[in-house]
Formats: sequence, C-alpha cells, structure tokens
Amino acid sequence: MKLVAAREALLKPLQAVIGVVERRQTMPILANVLMVAKNDKLSITATDLEVELVATTTADVQNGGEVTVPGRKLLDICRALPDGAEINISQSGEKVLVKSGRSKFSLTTLPAAEFPTVEDINAGQALELPQETLARLLEKTHFSMAQQDVRYYLNGLLLETGKKFLRAVATDGHRLALCQAELPGGKLPEQQVIVPRKGVLELQRLMSGEGSLNLELGSNHIRIQLDGIRFTSKLIDGRFPEYERVIPQDTSNSLSADRQLFRAALQRTAILSNEKYRGIRLTIQENAVVLQAHNPEQEEAEEELEVSYGGAEIEIGFNVNYLLDALGAIESEQVSLALVDGNSSCLLREPGNDDCKYVVMPMRL
Amino acid sequence: MSNDRKILHIDMDAFYASVEQRDNPELRGKPLVVGGGSNRGVVAAASYEARRFGIRSAMPIRDAMRRCPELLRVPPRMAHYQGVSQQIFEIFRTYSPLVEGLSLDEAFLDVSDSRSLFGSENSIALRIKNQIRSVTELTASVGVAPNKLLAKIASDLEKPDGLVVITHENIHSILDPLPVRVIPGVGRETFAKLAKFHIYTIADLRNASRRDLTSVFGRFAERMRQRASGIDDRPVVASRDEKSISAEETYDQDLSDVVVMNRELLRLAEKTAARLRSRKLVAGTIQVKIREADFTTYTRQRSIHPPSCSTDQLFQMAKQLLAAWLAEHPEARIRLLGVGGSELAADGQRDLFASLPETGKDDVDQAVDRIRERFGALAVGRARTLDRS
Repeated sequence: MKLVAAREALLKPLQAVIGVVERRQTMPILANVLMVAKNDKLSITATDLEVELVATTTADVQNGGEVTVPGRKLLDICRALPDGAEINISQSGEKVLVKSGRSKFSLTTLPAAEFPTVEDINAGQALELPQETLARLLEKTHFSMAQQDVRYYLNGLLLETGKKFLRAVATDGHRLALCQAELPGGKLPEQQVIVPRKGVLELQRLMSGEGSLNLELGSNHIRIQLDGIRFTSKLIDGRFPEYERVIPQDTSNSLSADRQLFRAALQRTAILSNEKYRGIRLTIQENAVVLQAHNPEQEEAEEELEVSYGGAEIEIGFNVNYLLDALGAIESEQVSLALVDGNSSCLLREPGNDDCKYVVMPMRL
Repeated sequence: MSNDRKILHIDMDAFYASVEQRDNPELRGKPLVVGGGSNRGVVAAASYEARRFGIRSAMPIRDAMRRCPELLRVPPRMAHYQGVSQQIFEIFRTYSPLVEGLSLDEAFLDVSDSRSLFGSENSIALRIKNQIRSVTELTASVGVAPNKLLAKIASDLEKPDGLVVITHENIHSILDPLPVRVIPGVGRETFAKLAKFHIYTIADLRNASRRDLTSVFGRFAERMRQRASGIDDRPVVASRDEKSISAEETYDQDLSDVVVMNRELLRLAEKTAARLRSRKLVAGTIQVKIREADFTTYTRQRSIHPPSCSTDQLFQMAKQLLAAWLAEHPEARIRLLGVGGSELAADGQRDLFASLPETGKDDVDQAVDRIRERFGALAVGRARTLDRS
C-alpha cells in the first residue's frame, strides 16, 4: 500500500472512527484501524466488536492494499502535523511509514485479514430518511436509556417500525421517553430492534443533522450509511418490555404549565434536594403547584408556580432530574402533565401532540 | 475547628462474646470465641478469658483451638448483636446528634455542645457507661479527649470497663511512653520499618528526624508527626446511614466448582437483598468478596443503575463480578465468599415495570420477604439455592 493524502483528508475520518477504538485492549488488533486503499479511495475502519465504523476519504492511491495500524497513534500524528501538510503513507515490510515534510514515523502493523469486520447484515428492511429525523428521535429519547442495568435490554434504545412510523423508545425502568416520526412512503413492516447505548451515543456524535441517510435493520445488526461514514452496530438480543402498557391512557386529569417557568422553578428548588436521590415534592392544587425540596442538612426550598389545573389536590414526589430531562426535550411553550394520584406515573407531553411522550414514575417521599 | 472539642470514643468490651456470656450463664468466666461453626472459620470476637491465651479476632479458629483446646465456640448471631447495638446507639444519641458509628460496637461522639445540658464530658462518659450497663448488662470502655485520635487511643488504655481522659495537660505524659503501634495506620510493616530507625514509642516518633520519617511515611511524614503530637482535626461525622450491607460465608471445604459458587452467591445475594429491603434501602454499588484457600482476599465491585435491592439484580451483578475474577484466577480454590451493597440510598423510586409479569420480579422478593417474616428464613427459598449433591 502506498498513498498520498492531505492531512485534513486523513484527520476527519480518523476522528470520526476513533470513538470505538478500544482503550482497554481485550484483543490487541482492536487498538488498530483497518486501512483499505483502492481506486483513489481510502477507507478507515474501527471496531470494538459491538460498533463498527467505516469512514471513507479520497487519497492519491499509488498502490492499493490493506493493513492495520495503531489508531490513536496515527490520529495523534496527523493531528500534530501542521495544517495543510501532505502525508505519505506506505507499507514497508511489517511497518507502515508515515512521512510528511521532514517528519518520519514508522508504525507497527497487524495483518488486515485478522481485523474483525461485519460484511452483510442480512437486512430485513432498508429505509431512506432525512438525517434530521433520526437525529431528532435520538435526541429526544436517549437520556432515558439505562446504564449498566442488569436488565440488559434496557441499556439501549428501541427502534421500532410499523404503520408509517419510525419510533424510538428508551427507558431505565424509572422513566420512559417515546418519540416517533412519520416517514414518507407506504406502510412499514413491523420490526423492533434494540440498539446498544454505546452505538446510540456514537451515532449521535456522527450525525450532522443534514442530508439523508440509509437505515438497514437486520436481525442481529443495524447499519446506517451517512455522509462518508458507515455505522454498524450489533443489536441487543433481548425483548424490550411491553412499554405501551405503562404509558398512561387516561389523560383527563391534566395540568398545563408554561414549560420554561416550570423548568426554572424545578431547577431552583432542586438546588436543595438530596444530591443522591434528587427527590422533590409537588403539591398540585387548583391552578397552582407548590414545589418543595429538602436535603440531609435540613435546608429547604419552596416555590409556588401558577398553572392551569382544576382536578383534585395531589401530592406527589419525583426525582427532579427525570422531570427536567423531559421538560428539556419538549419544545412547546406549554407542557401538559397528566396525573392520576400520588402513586401513579405521570405523562408529560406537548399539549395536543402525541408524537413525543414522557412517562415518569413517582418516588415515595 | 474549635480548639475546645470534646470527643468520646466508646468501644464495647469483647462485644459479641460478652453478649453470648450475658445470655448464657454457662459461658461466663470461660474462654469463648464467637465465630464460624467449623474448624475453618475465623474468630469474630474473643472473650477476655480467651484473650489470655493470645486469641484475637480474625485469627483462624483452628489456630485458636491450638492455643486453647478447651475453647468454647459459639456461632455468631448477627441479627441479635444488631439489636443490642441499636440499644447502645440509642443511648449515644440521647447525648449528642453527632454520633459516628465505626461498627456495631464502636462509635465516636462529639459532645462539645452537649455539656450545657448534661454536664462535663467526663460525667457524660460516666453516665453513658452506667446507662449501657443498666440497659444491656454489658460494659464499655470510653476514651475522652480533644479529638478522635486521642479518644480512640484512650479508650483502649484501660480495657475492659475503662474510662481514660486525655486533656491538653496530660497529652504528653500519656502518649509519650506508648508504643507507636497504638496510632491508627501504623501496622506491623510500618512498625518494623520504624524499628530500624529505633523509633518505638510515640515520643520517639515525635522527635524523629524529618529524614527518617520521610523514608518511612513518604509524603505522610508530617501528618504522622502530628499524630504523634496528638493533633487530629478530623470532625465527627454523624453516620445516620449505614455505609454498606453485606453477607459472607466461610466454607468448610474450599469451593472450586463454578456451579456451587454461583449457588452460594445467590444465597448470599438473597441475604443481602433481604437486609436492604428490610431497611428500605437500595444499593448503588455491588461488591463480591473472595478469599482464596491461602487467605489472599479480593474484592470486586461495580455500580448498578438504577440502585437496587432485588435479589435477582444483586445476584446477576455478583455473578458477573465473580466470573470476571475467575477468568483471572482459573484454578482458584475459594474459602470465603461475600456479597455486599454500598452507596446506599432510600428506596423511594417506584419502578415502571414492577406490575408487568415478565419484568416484575420485585413482587417475588416481596412475597418471599413476607413469608419469611411470618414463618422464618427457611420457610421458602429459591430452588437453585438447594444443594443437590
């Protein structure tokens, strides 16, 4: 392999894939990136065996070939070279030589054939959709994913197709976020996949929010092709809980509040809530909510907020972070909270819009 | 930090052993240890009669038996000791809200602001000792001093049933002749290093050259000199919350079969989870403790989200941690396993899926707890904890 490329042409794809290069090396080759040079194209692949990223860039390829080199070192070298530098990369025996101006580096290699890649994912369906749509679905739900939960199927995000919708659902068992988007075109087959947390966060990092993307759903993998980058992630092999059964159906007892005012009041009150479990008490009365918090030092915060509410008085406790996350994801001026009683879950959403729903379970205070 | 703090360190005398002797007159006046019911356990507590034979806690029972063949052994009754401990801590809290429990039978009290109500620190110490005796029929040793370090040293000076007061006036006359070993943090190894420099007593330590101290303690040299001068600014931190809850077991025969280890882990996870639930707590970190046949002890821990008190979740995490450890120690023979939870928090958060049959395992735990509450611990158990061999 022998090629010449501009520093920036190498830097961008390396930065795009470096997130999945293993820091803790379970297999030495996972610290490497696979470089494949062919027809004036250079593709760089990184994998942690769960998420695989392939970034493609243009290069002046003199001799095609493939090899793996330490990913972080190559990135650090490209980053440290001056802007506009021209970089020569060539294979020489067991080493890869990187030359630019008066700088010379010789990197160790491992055989390309040993680098684990995912070829065909046997996609059951393929969709084309605007990047903005998927980016929005993830943005509005990802924060509710569980993290290292022993219920391993919660440590990811459910993507579901059916009817005309693509739907994202995330839950950590305490709260749930659901957001769906209607896709142009006909009815979609019904399919559920759980994308692992790491894949979701990596994907969010890659999406610019512009242009379109191709989404392929297989039974074991999800693959997304976007500008110059192909993202492939293993799926979590498990059954997502029947989430629809925990979304409150009866929304007759609702209050409506100014979202920003509500959020600001919660943020202020939260200052004196217990740092560990973040409990806050809401007393919901006719057209008013009283917010109260106290901490182990016996400091107290109380605030009253004007809302529109005509139901029975309810006293209910929440982890304030869960409410704040939901209020941060909702965009409308007003927010509606549907409540039953102090022991039942609460549904937050934009009034009159069922595309995004946030369910929060209360705390005993 | 105020210059005029009054700190008590209260330490029950041979606590577990004394409770057993109190409850059973036949054990009184005899060498006795509380500890694992077999030859392979370790001594959890030794009566003063047993200590005369050089028997100390953490010593393997086998060694203890060698030192004193007529030694009596009693299996520990932790739940019972916890009950007595609660009585004692209740007494402490009537004198000060600043009670820092170190274990079931040991605590620091900051009584600096209690004196206007209860009299001098010395009379508070006496009242506490008397009250412990009248409520529990047990004795405690108390150290009274201007800080935690000195209070702890003082309580140990006249055990059992001691009361030693260290004041700014008598600090040096009391501390100077004491061996450096009484300073917390000076263990056997440090002691040996200090001996090379002929540092044996606290006075030696205080007057040692900076170079000698640095070569033993590194960057902690000055702190150790301060300790030797009786200086300690650490506050008494009220520990209203327990820091961790755990269950462990020493086995009669070393475990080498993964299936058996997992069965034991499940049993321990169940105990720990039930303790968490009975205190309405959830644990944010799960740890396993593993002791190999040669007494090398390991702990491995990982946080879980959300914090949990579910048997199944504790077990799953403990199993993963053990599996990872076993991967590094494939031939391991294990004599002790433990499962614990820390980062404890009040279990206030309700679960969205608790009511769904496939995810709502919590209901099983609660049902089991209720049955055990009525009919005892052996009334119901998981099939997998049954020994089929």
